[in-house]
Amino acid sequence: MSEREREDIQRLVESCQNCAGEVRAVEKLLASADSLGRDVQTALAGIDWDLQAEKTVAAVWSERARSGAEREKRRPGLWVFRLRPVLAGLFLGVLVGAGAMFFVFRSGWTRKAPAQAFFASSEFLSRVDQEMGRRETLDYLEKSQYVLLELAQTQTESGSCRLSEAAARETRELLSKKKYLNPQLEKARMAKAKAICDQIEMLFYELAQVSENLTPAQCRGIQSLIEEKDILLKIKLLKKELQESEA
Amino acid sequence: MEERRPTPDEDIRILLEKAADGDRQAFKSIVVLYQQKVFLLAFSILRNREDALDVVQETFMRLYQKLDQYEKDRNFQAWLLQIAKNMSIDFYRKHHARRRELESERSIEELPLAAEDHRSNPESSELSRLLSRNLERLAERQRLIFVMKHFNGLEYREIAQVLGISVGTVKSLHFKAVRNLKNWLSPQLGIQT
Repeated sequence: MSEREREDIQRLVESCQNCAGEVRAVEKLLASADSLGRDVQTALAGIDWDLQAEKTVAAVWSERARSGAEREKRRPGLWVFRLRPVLAGLFLGVLVGAGAMFFVFRSGWTRKAPAQAFFASSEFLSRVDQEMGRRETLDYLEKSQYVLLELAQTQTESGSCRLSEAAARETRELLSKKKYLNPQLEKARMAKAKAICDQIEMLFYELAQVSENLTPAQCRGIQSLIEEKDILLKIKLLKKELQESEA
Repeated sequence: MEERRPTPDEDIRILLEKAADGDRQAFKSIVVLYQQKVFLLAFSILRNREDALDVVQETFMRLYQKLDQYEKDRNFQAWLLQIAKNMSIDFYRKHHARRRELESERSIEELPLAAEDHRSNPESSELSRLLSRNLERLAERQRLIFVMKHFNGLEYREIAQVLGISVGTVKSLHFKAVRNLKNWLSPQLGIQT
């Protein structure tokens, strides 16, 4: 508050009776409060502050020691080691065991020796080739036999010659299979079987060229080919021979 | 080269660090420096010497537990008095409810009010007695500010720091406390209503 404002208030208080009364009341109140404050200060005087400080510090330090001891108690690991030597020994055993296992596995004692390179004699390999060729040929003959038999049966029953869709698909598959079979038959030195399979292949080429709907003349032509060359009989005999020669 | 003398704030920071490291003497120095200020605040709130001394001890215990939480930029005295204020209020709520029940059974004259026996002037003594009693009627913050200002002799700025409020709010609450007390004590103050 500035000096000027203070003077203004002073003038107002002097001119106003009620205001002066209010100010006196507040001054009296504050004086009383301050005197109460002085009494509080008096209360301070009667206390031995050095002793009080020592008491306070002692209380704090004993609380500190107590909480420190409680923290110590709460450490279960140390408690176990100090008072339970059996458990401590067990723990040590686990540690030593784990360490030993680590070194054993690390050194690779338990690892199996790598297998030696596979060796097979040329005789064995040629027998494998022969066996594979035999099986493949048997399969080829079997399927061919079905197709040719179907063709013969259809003709016999109805007079017309019509190849079923499945038989036509089988014919195409057998043609592609024969291409794969050729090198195997040569490798296995199965000349006789190769000759018969070639004749069957020729028939299938004929069939594939004339499509599914054969004219009676075409059908008779193929039929006569089968009969002339005794294809079905050859298939039967060759199958028998191959089955008997199983390795 | 002239050695720089540490400021009081730096001194207290060093003492606090040492105390946190377990230096008993350093902690005692802090207690010696501040125990009377803590006592005044506690006494102002509790208006009982023994209770206030208990609060002093509890305040320094709490201080020791919170030493690691002290922020170095903070005013240590304000922080400590804030702890003391909270401890005093807790103490008051815990113990004075029971005490009040007991006191309500006694006559007003029997109640031991702070320093009421030191009056030589009976009129002044009566006013102080009534003032002391009417302080109880004030709202908590008004009462705290009034006692801190007049009993502890703290500045508005210091009270603001202790209570964590602005200086303007402290002044406003102090004004309200004075106005309320004046209204309640108007006959004793010679004001005609």
